[in-house]
Amino acid sequence: MHFLKRSFRRLLGGAEAGLTRMYGWQWNPMHQAGTVSALMLLVLVATGLYLVMFYRVGDPAASVARMAADPWLGSWIRSLHRYATDVFVLAAVVHALKMFSQDRSWGPRTLAWISGLVLFGIGMLLAVTGFVMAWDSFGERLAREGGRLLDFLPIFSEPVSRIFAGDGPVPSAFFFVNLFIHIALPLGLGIALWLHISRVARPTVLPPKRLAWGMIGALTLASIVRAAPLGSAADPLRLVSTTPTDFIVAWWLPISEKLSPGMAWSLALVALVVALLVPRLTRRPRTASWAPSVVDPRLCTGCNQCPQDCPWEAITMVPRTDDRPTLVALVDPALCVSCGICAGSCAPMGVGPAERTGRDQLLVFRTETLPALLDAPAMPVVAITCSQVPSAHRDAVRVLGAHIHPVTCVGNLHSSVVELFIRNGAPGVMIFGCPPRDCVGREGPKWLQERLFNDREAELQLRVDRRRVRVGTMAPGDLAGAIAAYNTFVRDLNELDTPVRESQVDIDFECEPVPFEDSSE
Amino acid sequence: MTPVRMLSAVVTTTAGLALLVWMSAVTFPHHESNDAALRLSFSARPERIEVCRTLSDEELEELAEHMRQRVSCEGVLATYTLRIEIDGKTIGESVVRGAGLRHDRPLYLLQDYSVPPGKHRFRVSLTRREKTDNDAAAYAKAVVPEVDTGLYAGRAQREANERARRAGVAIPASLVLDTTLVLPPQRVALIRFNAARRALELYAEAPSK
Repeated sequence: MHFLKRSFRRLLGGAEAGLTRMYGWQWNPMHQAGTVSALMLLVLVATGLYLVMFYRVGDPAASVARMAADPWLGSWIRSLHRYATDVFVLAAVVHALKMFSQDRSWGPRTLAWISGLVLFGIGMLLAVTGFVMAWDSFGERLAREGGRLLDFLPIFSEPVSRIFAGDGPVPSAFFFVNLFIHIALPLGLGIALWLHISRVARPTVLPPKRLAWGMIGALTLASIVRAAPLGSAADPLRLVSTTPTDFIVAWWLPISEKLSPGMAWSLALVALVVALLVPRLTRRPRTASWAPSVVDPRLCTGCNQCPQDCPWEAITMVPRTDDRPTLVALVDPALCVSCGICAGSCAPMGVGPAERTGRDQLLVFRTETLPALLDAPAMPVVAITCSQVPSAHRDAVRVLGAHIHPVTCVGNLHSSVVELFIRNGAPGVMIFGCPPRDCVGREGPKWLQERLFNDREAELQLRVDRRRVRVGTMAPGDLAGAIAAYNTFVRDLNELDTPVRESQVDIDFECEPVPFEDSSE
Repeated sequence: MTPVRMLSAVVTTTAGLALLVWMSAVTFPHHESNDAALRLSFSARPERIEVCRTLSDEELEELAEHMRQRVSCEGVLATYTLRIEIDGKTIGESVVRGAGLRHDRPLYLLQDYSVPPGKHRFRVSLTRREKTDNDAAAYAKAVVPEVDTGLYAGRAQREANERARRAGVAIPASLVLDTTLVLPPQRVALIRFNAARRALELYAEAPSK
């Protein structure tokens, strides 16, 4: 399983880097594969609503052929519907593989994984019923194979396959049921999507507008330039040599046709079981870097910030058991994914995964980082980097003279660490995170920016010169961008005064307590 | 975005779209050979092999009123041997029976046989395996229902009629279709059961000779 994970990570990383080189990380669709799938669902609903107005269950092949022959709307809307289906499938597969390879498929994410599988399954079923609706040679081929597989199961009183034998027209009832499934299943899709994102706070469902419209525009252009072909009308009494097959949706068809129904079902069942078992097979012991966050009630001031920042809604505020008039944070380990975002959100440093709380970060700074820096002839510029960024990028910045200070996620970083670097004489601190929409902790870069520059709770103190702090992105495939951002930062720093190291730096941390409101009063 | 990156984005997008369009309609081989096919497709109720007897008045009295059938039958549905011969050569032989776990559903048949195109003599036979005269049809003819009176007036006759009707639409003990066809390449000749005629018949676009 680890080999698979590493392989997919390498494969996807390479593809991602390539796309970043082409588009830039801001518009890299692989960073938002999940939201691209959701966008395609919207496109499918919109185009599907148009197409269904012209579809006739009494004469499906002719009605679809009429649509395909309409050069103004029908042809390209039908093609857009089809291409959006393909992009949905591809994006969903990439999204799933990314989650798998990044260890984001187990523990609290199990529900998302399972509901994602359901979403994908429903999507594939919708795609198959959609192709059957067209009732061309490919639709007939899919229907025949579907009938063959279904007839193996003891669920129908009469074999489904006989519908396509050719001793009579395929009944309209079949196309009606097929259409009903094709229209009704999106409701199930909606429920599964709701479940899929139910455990995350502030779910991001759609890609950025520019990317979304860009993708829709590109697919529309492709639909106009090259309409999706329609096979010859289905004829049960004719054996066609070839069918125009949608490989993305029906890659399994030639394999399935060659197998006995029992074998085909067995293989599908094995694949399903393995997919369902992924959360079990990939789970890790909840220790070390996977340990859930804990709260030190002595330090918690009840400020209510960590529940707001937690991307997984794993923290709630509950009444205290002692006599202090505030609430206290409580982490649900079953929901916590150990992203450590809460550690960066807590001004008094009272919450976070073991060895990653703000206090732990300060301890490491004082005992390991600072002594090493003080030994250097001159205090270097500091680059704080997320552990997920490519090591080549990190090394390149190191070669440029930066002192590298790694953190598990930039959202994990406590602003006091940045302050300590500056007040101990570092000319500047540049924090390199992952692309904002591709953060393993979901909202690391977002909250970091807010805390450093927009006074979000656990903010960087006013006494720190903001000109000496900058946030950058290290995206795979954008080494030049990372180096350029770093060089620009250094150039800007050179225009500032020489930094002065303060003696006896003592960070004081504050957080306005939320008064405890007794509901009984 | 620099012009170079813009250009590379346009090129990548175009290539990606071309790949998507191609993958959306890959030509997959299906029936690669030039062969035609002989297809058997029908559903029909097998004969019921029964042992029937007329219940005495005393036996009827012991039953609840709504259970009182003059003629009581017990048995199973018949099974058949299906044999397909092309140009005198048997290409398929199998036992077919009613559907369902207890084989008490109608018999459904859907089989395809690959045949080289051209002129062929086809012989399809369906022969009952059970050797018995005690089938419902035989019995229905033999039974002369008594004239019931009172509450059961005409019941025995109705039962006999129903048995005769069921036997009348069932597959007979032996069915044979022997014909010669010219099959064009990649066409299907369909053989089905005509329930009205109780015979196998050809349903095909191919001209029969």
